[in-house]
Amino acid sequence: MTTTAVGFDQVSKSYGSVRAVDGLTLALHPGETVALLGPNGAGKSTTLDLLLGLKQPDAGTVRVFGTGPREAIVAGRVGAMLQSGGLMDEVTAEELVRLACALHPKPYKVSDVLARAGIAQIADRKVNKLSGGQAQRVRFALATAGDSDLIVLDEPTTGMDVSARQAFWSTMREQADQGRTVLFATHYLEEADAIADRVLVLHRGRLLADGTAAEIKAKAGARRISFDLDLDRDGGAIDAVPLRNLPFLTSIDVSGQTVRIQSSDADATVHALYGLGVYPRNLEVAGLGLEQAFVAITEAEEARTS
Amino acid sequence: MNSLIKLELARALRNRKFLFFSVLYPSLLFLIIAGNAGGTDKVAGTGLTVATYMMVSMASFGALTAVLMGNSERIAKERESGWVRQLRLTTLPGRGYVLAKTASAAVVSLPSIVIVFVVAAAVKDVRLDAWQWLALTGAIWAGSLVFAALGVAIGYLASGDAVRPITMITYFGLSMLGGLWMPTTTFPTWLQDIAKWLPTHAYAALGRAIEQSRAPHAQDIAILVVSFALFAGGAAWLYRKDTLKA
Repeated sequence: MTTTAVGFDQVSKSYGSVRAVDGLTLALHPGETVALLGPNGAGKSTTLDLLLGLKQPDAGTVRVFGTGPREAIVAGRVGAMLQSGGLMDEVTAEELVRLACALHPKPYKVSDVLARAGIAQIADRKVNKLSGGQAQRVRFALATAGDSDLIVLDEPTTGMDVSARQAFWSTMREQADQGRTVLFATHYLEEADAIADRVLVLHRGRLLADGTAAEIKAKAGARRISFDLDLDRDGGAIDAVPLRNLPFLTSIDVSGQTVRIQSSDADATVHALYGLGVYPRNLEVAGLGLEQAFVAITEAEEARTS
Repeated sequence: MNSLIKLELARALRNRKFLFFSVLYPSLLFLIIAGNAGGTDKVAGTGLTVATYMMVSMASFGALTAVLMGNSERIAKERESGWVRQLRLTTLPGRGYVLAKTASAAVVSLPSIVIVFVVAAAVKDVRLDAWQWLALTGAIWAGSLVFAALGVAIGYLASGDAVRPITMITYFGLSMLGGLWMPTTTFPTWLQDIAKWLPTHAYAALGRAIEQSRAPHAQDIAILVVSFALFAGGAAWLYRKDTLKA
């Protein structure tokens, strides 16, 4: 298949004065598993809504398998699970899945869909009596009720505990292995890392980075170093220590005895720290959280464009 | 769409409270109101016995309950929960949701009409010709579409905490002022002047015309047609607005 699975061409969408999506251009290819990363308000949900035809772009075009989003859904090529997608209440999980299968042009057997989503045991429970994680699995079952070519998932593991999350992603990987295109939005960098062949980083409605998980992490590569310096005992002052001259240092924050450093090469920075002849206590070295990684990427981006 | 209608119906039939209020309650109310009147007491100016008169009122009231309540609150709630959005990701056409809701409400409203008739015939000896029973059932059932459209409009207009009071005010206002609970002839004149323009009044008048074996008033037909156009148009407009916003 040579058609693009999803194509955004200069797509913009505003709410009042807020540009949720700003000139977004991207192409997803059949068979790819793609993570859409971004902090809250980055435009992830709006991007997915545009992709699914739930919202109309102010400018630009959205194509799904060469047609409009609605046509692709009607042709049964798209299965989607929304964060904001509610469930009909007072009906059982099985009845809901049966409905989803009946509405899909290329449906799977209801029992298979239930089993694959891991909800066979709770099939006769009312959906409004399910836990958050179980309800997510029902939503997943609705998204995979038929043989769709593209599966779109908006923060699918919200409300799941760690084991449920792992089980969920192994199911998802089976879907991807069957040659489907999978696009999921997430907050969790680990999920993107473990599952996706490609990661899109969205910030303020624009595409900031597009590459493999390893490339993205390298781009956001800075690490955090923190430690305490108890200099009073030695009669010294913290300002007297030439911390600012440490190699690979990108930012430093000193409050009282506590020093927090961001470094693009933590090993070299720590090595040099000991070279200064001080004795750091409670030394911690950690990777940047997702939020901070975005800040790092954004700052780099803004520095580059200014 | 049939699968959604089936599921909506299964759910409605499982909801005992809803079934009681839309299917049994009108018949009970009929027995209470008509029960006090003797078999030959007539409602002034109609030539109909109290039981015959109230039978149409309560059958109309039951159908109104089923379609108005069935649509407005559910639609508002499911819009808010995101179920309507989820359905838009299926092959179901946009109108399918509203049509399925209305169709399942109509299936519930039919027994509520018929049960009032059965109770009236069995307990209060109401006797009509066969064609009248059939015409009554058809007219009241078809007429309930006007209020189904109103229910859809309210469901798309209001949301959250507002939908219940709005539905209740509309429901009780239309029932009482339209003369479904007591004949409007018992109202003061100024209220009668208002009441005769209400779609519920025209709705019950349609049924009574059949009981009196005469043609319905053109004004009542016109009120029902205009109301339907207004409610359905409003519902369609609100639906489209909601779709763009979602």
